[in-house]
Amino acid sequence: MTTDHAPRLYALVGSILGFFLAWAGIAAHPWAQTSSSAEPQSAALATYSRRLNADAALVALLAGRRKGASSVRVVTLPPITTTRTS
Amino acid sequence: MIHRRVFAAMGTEVELLLEAEDSSLLADVEAEFGRLETVLSRFRSDSELSQLNETGAGHVGPELLEVIELAIEARAASGGRFDPTVHDAVVAAGYDRSFELLDNDGAGASSVPVRVGGAVAIDRTAGHVALEPGYRLDLGGIAKGWAADRALAVLAAAGPALVNAGGDVAAAGRVWPIAVEAAGEEITLGLEDGGVATSGRDRRNWLCEGEPRHHLIDPVTGSPADGDVLTVTVAAGSAAEAEVLATTLFLAGDSRRALDEADLAAIPTVLVTSAGEVLLAGGLE
Repeated sequence: MTTDHAPRLYALVGSILGFFLAWAGIAAHPWAQTSSSAEPQSAALATYSRRLNADAALVALLAGRRKGASSVRVVTLPPITTTRTS
Repeated sequence: MIHRRVFAAMGTEVELLLEAEDSSLLADVEAEFGRLETVLSRFRSDSELSQLNETGAGHVGPELLEVIELAIEARAASGGRFDPTVHDAVVAAGYDRSFELLDNDGAGASSVPVRVGGAVAIDRTAGHVALEPGYRLDLGGIAKGWAADRALAVLAAAGPALVNAGGDVAAAGRVWPIAVEAAGEEITLGLEDGGVATSGRDRRNWLCEGEPRHHLIDPVTGSPADGDVLTVTVAAGSAAEAEVLATTLFLAGDSRRALDEADLAAIPTVLVTSAGEVLLAGGLE
């Protein structure tokens, strides 16, 4: 009488696979709630990222500006008008 | 002889100076400012800008088209710091009517940030503008600078001239001494050709739930900008450009960074900090 090892082998492989899947599932802590502090941190990071991108674009622009775009200097003449926050 | 004319327009005081024999052009320029207000003001419900903000899309006249294009170009050039789509954020901050009509109790103000940075599609050939749903335009300072530059072009044909649209100054033809309000100190800039403008939170500010608020929105946060900068005055090739650069430097976040950027780009700058320090950059000394 010969023994068919194939079902045993499949059962063994299935058990090992099931074990690792269960391990991965438990290790992921799916029952744990998402930390409430993660959301503000994520938003802050997104804001910081946007600011960095904007600043990078601006620095490139500023570095490319030609010098002497206007003729202005500090003078001691009596002022004829005033600039203020518009 | 220098002729002077002062009048109210575009929610501020406009001053015209013209060194010439004939002063008749001043009345024409005043009338033109009045007409431009009916095109560019967000406070007039019948203005062309208000109608665009109401409908979200439509055909616009050449002047509104030009200023919107200028503002969108400035948004790209400033890395998004200058942004004309701040309208709803400014209104949410409490600046929902012409400033002289604003209560100082922040009625209607909200501390909730509002999104800024909506798309603006411009079809120059068709004269058509479409705003991304949920966004409206506030052309405020850049419109005044643009109007000052435009008025100067008319006046300068008759002689040396200066146009001061509520602090957005355009000048040509001679050295015009322009005082900068600087925390009690007096600094005078001699501007020969070009523009000067100031951005700051020393004016056009109010209280919201006891907290000081102002009209300069940081597009990143959608709220009035923080930082230690009180005012930034900038000189540039035109009043509109100066307005954009002054706002851009104000929104740098802090005075050190603003001064570094002014030096890097050779933007003549007078910066006043909240502590009252007056600092020069960009070649001024």
